[in-house]
This record gives sequence, C-alpha cells and structure tokens, in this order.
Amino acid sequence: MSEVPNVFSKKVADRYLKREVLGEGTYGVVSKAIDTKTGQIVAIKKIRLGKHKEGVNFTALREIKLLKELKDPHIIELIDAFPHKGNLHLVFEFMETDLEAVIRDRNIVLSLADIKSFLQMTLKGLAFCHKKWVLHRDMKPNNLLIGDKGQLKLADFGLARIFGSPDRKFTHQVFARWYRAPELLFGSKQYGPGVDVWAAACIFAELLLRRPFLQGSSDIDQLGKIFAAFGTPKPAQWPDMVYLPDYVEYQFVPAPPLRSLFPMASDDALDLLSKMFTYDPKTRISVQQALEHRYFTSGPLPTEPAKLPRPHPKRESLNTRVSDFNQQEGPTVLSPPRKSRRVMPQRDGFEENAHQVEKSDEHVNDIRQATGERMSWNEHAPMSIDFSVFGSRPPPRPTINSADKSRLKRKLDLEFQQPDQD
Amino acid sequence: MAANFWTSSHYKQLLDQEEVDVVHPLDKEKGVTLEDFKLIKMHMANYIGRLGQNVKVRQRVVATAITYMRRVYTRKAMTEYDPRLVAPTSLYLAAKAEESTVQARLLVFYVRKLNPDEKYRYEIKDILEMEMKILEALNYYLVVFHPYRALSQLLQDANLNDLTQLSWGIVNDTYKMDLILIYPPHLIALACIYIASVHKDKETTAWFEELRVDMNVVKNISMEILDFYDSHRTITEDRITTTFNKLALRS
Repeated sequence: MSEVPNVFSKKVADRYLKREVLGEGTYGVVSKAIDTKTGQIVAIKKIRLGKHKEGVNFTALREIKLLKELKDPHIIELIDAFPHKGNLHLVFEFMETDLEAVIRDRNIVLSLADIKSFLQMTLKGLAFCHKKWVLHRDMKPNNLLIGDKGQLKLADFGLARIFGSPDRKFTHQVFARWYRAPELLFGSKQYGPGVDVWAAACIFAELLLRRPFLQGSSDIDQLGKIFAAFGTPKPAQWPDMVYLPDYVEYQFVPAPPLRSLFPMASDDALDLLSKMFTYDPKTRISVQQALEHRYFTSGPLPTEPAKLPRPHPKRESLNTRVSDFNQQEGPTVLSPPRKSRRVMPQRDGFEENAHQVEKSDEHVNDIRQATGERMSWNEHAPMSIDFSVFGSRPPPRPTINSADKSRLKRKLDLEFQQPDQD
Repeated sequence: MAANFWTSSHYKQLLDQEEVDVVHPLDKEKGVTLEDFKLIKMHMANYIGRLGQNVKVRQRVVATAITYMRRVYTRKAMTEYDPRLVAPTSLYLAAKAEESTVQARLLVFYVRKLNPDEKYRYEIKDILEMEMKILEALNYYLVVFHPYRALSQLLQDANLNDLTQLSWGIVNDTYKMDLILIYPPHLIALACIYIASVHKDKETTAWFEELRVDMNVVKNISMEILDFYDSHRTITEDRITTTFNKLALRS
C-alpha cells in the first residue's frame, strides 16, 4: 500500500486501470483493476521479487504453470500476465467474495440446497484438477472464491502439484491444519487425490455446521479431534496406517453416531460425508464418484449459483471507500477498520500461528512421543495474542503463510516427473 | 493419461515444420540463413545440456529448457534475444518449472567455467531480466511433455527393454532438432524405438502394426533423425563461430 500509482505504466495503462488494494495474497499484493479494453473488473496480483535474487517467485511460477493448463468454469481464470518495473503481474478474473465469508456471515441462512450447490461446484473444480493430474493441496473455504453470479471457483494453486507417478514422494506439510487428511498428519509422502477429498469433506462439514469442523491446535490435537469424531481407526479399517512414517498409537475411542454430529443433515448427505471421511485413502471415495453420489440427484436439488446467498454488498462499498481514503491521504493505516476478504486476518495471530506450526513440525516426532510438556507449550504459544479482541469469534484459522511456504519450498522433494501421455 | 497430452497447451502449440523454419526478419537482415538458424539452436541445445550436467539437473529439466529455447526462437529474433543468454536462462526457468530449482549464482559460475569466450559471460541480473522476457515470449506456457515417459512404457510393452539405452540416447539427440515443437512426444519415442530396432535388427513390424498410430508419420520422423545424424558430421567449430559472427551481438 506504500505506492499509489493509479495506472501501471504507459504501456499497460490503456489496458488495466488499478483501483484499490484488495489484500495480501500468498506472494504479493492483490489489487482490483479495470481492464479498459473489455470493461471487465479484474484482480491483479503483483508478485514480489524474491529476496535472494532468485527471480520470479517459485510459488507464483507454479501457480502460473498450472493455471495456464487448467481452464474450467470452476477454476479461477488466469487472464493475463505481464512484467512491469521488474515485477510480474498476474491478471485474474475478479471474484466478489469467498466461501469463508459466506460461512461466517451470520446474516446468511444456508439451506440444504445451497450447501449442496456449494459442495457440487467445489467438487467439480476439484474433479477437473484431478483429471488433469493436479493435486490442489490447499483446499479451504478461503481459497474457494465466489463470483458475481454465485459461481464458485478454486483458487490459490501455489501449493498445487502435478502427480501421477505412483511412487513419487511429496511433502506432507500441505493444507491448513484443519483440512489435513489423517495420512498427511501421520507423515505420508506418497499420497494422492484423496487428500483433496478429505479437505472437501471438511468444507462440506463446515457448510453444515457453520464453523470449522475439526479445529485442532496442533498436528497431534488435529488427529485427536479426527478420532474423537470418527473413532480411532482400527488396522483392519486402514491397513497401511501403522506403516506411515509418523504413526503413533492413539488411545481407542469409539465413533459417536455421525448423525449426532450433524443433526440437520439428510441421510444422503451423511452417507456421502462418511465416504469422503473414510480413513483409508485407498477406499476413500474419489471426487468423480462423489459427484455421482445420489446426494446430488435426490431432493432438494442444488440451488442455481445465481440464487445462492452472498454476503451483503454494502460492506464492499464501505471497504472501497476506506481503502481509497487510505491511498489518497497518505498515512498508512496498519489495521484498517475492516479488512477486505483475502486479507490474512489478524496478522499477529498468524505469525504466532506460523511460529507454532514451524515449531511443532520441527519437533513433530518428539511431540508424537506424547510428551505432555510439548503439548502444553503448544497451548501456551498463542497466549501473546489477546483473544478478547476477537470476542466470541472463532480463533484465527491456521493457514500456510509465505514463511511456511518458503520453508515448504525447500522441503519439497524437488524431483518429480509429470505424467506423459501413454 | 492419454487425455492429458491431448488437452494440454503443449499439444495446442504444436507447429508445422514450415512455421518452425521461419528465420526472423531481423536475423535475416544480418544474413542468417535457415541453416545458420538451425545450427545455432543445435549449438545452444548442446550448451544447455553441458550446463545441465554441471549444475546436476535431470535430463527432463534439460529437455524442458531446450524446448523453451526453441519456442522462444519461433517468436523472437536472435539478434534481440542473445542465444548465449537465452540458453542458461531457459535452464534456470525450466529447473524452477520442473520443481528442481537451480540457484542463479551456481548457473553463472558454470557459465563462466565452461566458456573462455567472454561473449558467453552474463551476470545474475542478466539472467533474471531475461527470465521475465522468456516467460513473456513463451506466453507463460510452461508445461512441456517429453518422449521419455512414453519411451519406457512402449519399450516395456514391446518387450524391447534391451533397446532402452540406445533408444534413450536417440531421444536425447532429438533435442538437437526441432522435433519437440512439431510432433507429439509419443510419436518421437516411437521413431526412436523404430531406429533402434532397425539398427539392432529386432523384428518389430508386428508390434508396430498393432499400435494404432500412423506409421508414415513415425517413419518420417525417423528419416528426419537419420538425416540429421548424416549432416551432423559435417559441422565444425569454425562453422559455428562464423554463424555467430553474423549475429554481431554485444558489439
């Protein structure tokens, strides 16, 4: 927000007219802009140059590479890209809001048909990725953007990867924790599309409950929350589990009836949910199978996207005014009164969180050996955040921030082959 | 996985030989002929290969880098995009795109080490600047398919695993030509198997007939490869120097 140019340059000025800053993306500032050629509103992501003289950001490059291949109504469109003043700018279609904003907005009532529609669009986007041998690996409501006609699209492919080689090893440090599949939490490095299915199931549950379903405070706690909801898996249920790198035995807890967790859901919804939440990734339902589940053909039918409820647009205009004001008057307000969506909320909370994630990951094995102190360290960590500020709102979502990502980048097994045709 | 290639940007971007063989007007002005054009690209493919060996990246990264370099010159002039900078930068970008990042610093080190000729010496900042220009020239399409995967699958299917080394080597050599810009990778793989099997007197007619591919195309590719091997013998270092002098870069 330090620079205030309204246009990018003479060369692109006649094309994109920059407007207010929308937020901070994973690797750069996102601004609203108008494509003066088409009149279309777009979102422009300015990619920060790498600090270590390493040219175009690796994560950004990955997103460009995949999005140029993934053209689908349920995947965010990368419209254009251009260099300007040494920075690369990515032009995306502009999306009004995201699913997290919808879920959190207490003024919105989500009918069963609305939930079905959101889930169906999510799965359609995911099915396209998987068909193209791409794992999204960062599915969460915040990354599911919603356009002006209610259409939902998958975004943020900075963690996505091409898969296909069956024994290719990946890092398990993907997804925000609450959406991580159990095989990832047990350190699996040879996972597949099932990880996206698990995350989609968490989103499905979140739509039903209107709060994040499994809010673990550490990786250990995350598994604990999962087992409390679905019962501790028995080896018969998931034979490969005991061979996973970070496997530790958990005390057995039986599964409560799924119905008790989701009292409002239909039988079909519960059936699909349980199939998506299957422990063994080999028997977990695929995205394509999920789309063919009778849940989507039985009543009530999915709401038409254009008729889906959306957060009140008035907020939008208020937002616009606020950021315009900031830009014109000079002083940079560090905490704008109301941050627009896609802004990482509660920066402090996130840094704390990142720190926590990093620490707990580093010591993941120690923790797994179940020392109570480490667990309590984890619980103490966020104490520097003043929770009273948030009132009764849910705690900040764990997310993968750029610090994590650069760490991930290093950790990522850098060798892979993408599937050639056969 | 077949659907994968056929819906990819790589497939959509395949060109005809005639389109690939267009010498950019700016280069033509300098007297660069089609022969020269091909020669420089081959020379640069070799250079990328040597750099790749030194910075220790997989063959796949080298192959992607060469493809990037060749795609750049279907759109840009060599007089404007110095091949001696485009080559290392293509490798730099390909390494990132193939998820095995190479540090620019390391690349620059080997560029210096491998080239006594000062005209090859570029700095990190040059590479980073060119990276952006190459991205633009590629229209940001970065996914490239290669014959290697198909090659191993086909050899296995034909029960010709003893041809692996020879045919793999031939595939590597195809990057000295523009084949990757023109043909689907699996057809290139088949042509290489065809040459290898003929060379080693393996009877593969029945197997080839069972494949549902146009054998005329496979044979054409094979002929192109063999023609290339023939002409390749006559190329000398002097010839390359003379060609580069025509470009008169960095004067």
